[in-house]
Amino acid sequence: MLQYVPALIIGFAFGWLLQKAGLTRYSKIVNVFRFTDLAVLKFMMSAMVVGMIGVYALKDLGLVSLVGTMPTYIVGNLVGGLIFGVGMAGAGY
Amino acid sequence: MRVIKLLRKSEWSPYLGGALLGLLAVLSLAFTGRLLSGSGGFETLGGSIVQAVSPAAGDNIYWKFVMPAGIGWSVFVLLGIFVGALVAALAGRTFKWRAVSDDQWIRIFGPARWKRWLVLFVGAILLEYGAGIAGGCTSGLAISGGLQLAPSAFLFIMGMFMSGIPTAMIFYRGRY
Repeated sequence: MLQYVPALIIGFAFGWLLQKAGLTRYSKIVNVFRFTDLAVLKFMMSAMVVGMIGVYALKDLGLVSLVGTMPTYIVGNLVGGLIFGVGMAGAGY
Repeated sequence: MRVIKLLRKSEWSPYLGGALLGLLAVLSLAFTGRLLSGSGGFETLGGSIVQAVSPAAGDNIYWKFVMPAGIGWSVFVLLGIFVGALVAALAGRTFKWRAVSDDQWIRIFGPARWKRWLVLFVGAILLEYGAGIAGGCTSGLAISGGLQLAPSAFLFIMGMFMSGIPTAMIFYRGRY
């Protein structure tokens, strides 16, 4: 069980941040698709930019290696994204 | 004192939240060798439920190799997400029990419970199914993949907006 403690901590921080940014609310999610509230994009892009800098800095220092679990299947990624988008805009989560 | 005040604030700037999430992803990779994930837990948890109910139906390639069934890392992350969001809502005093959870929805589609729950149920199925095909969700593929500059993440984001925008247009019609 002890090996899952970091998972709980990471999840806790993740949930905390999503809640505080308001991304657990239907209106925040759906409004990004209506272009009336871009909080989702602001959140995602800030996370990606900070993450990119941090991860690549650590990688170039030789401290971490990238997680190679995101293979590119053009059709799969795109079709999955298309189905996901319908669900996301409807459900709002 | 300022930290406590910030923790009690009901809403943070999305830039701050996002930047901290990016930092969390970096720390997660540095200390655990994993990045963030959200939807994977539902798939592995679903796999273990199916295998418990009907071993024959659960005996397939998907739950054996693609998303091995079992209660592991990602399920605990999900548990943490739930508790973290709950504590954040309590700390910000925004916690509330509601059947239809959003004011905007009530304003536009009315307070009918079945409408919201139906759309939520079907939408969540599509969401998880799409994430399964693409290989991740907004966190596991778009953010974790995007910050490693994986092309799949950007294809996924593209698809997400290509279908999300027309879906919102259909739902909101004249009020888009």
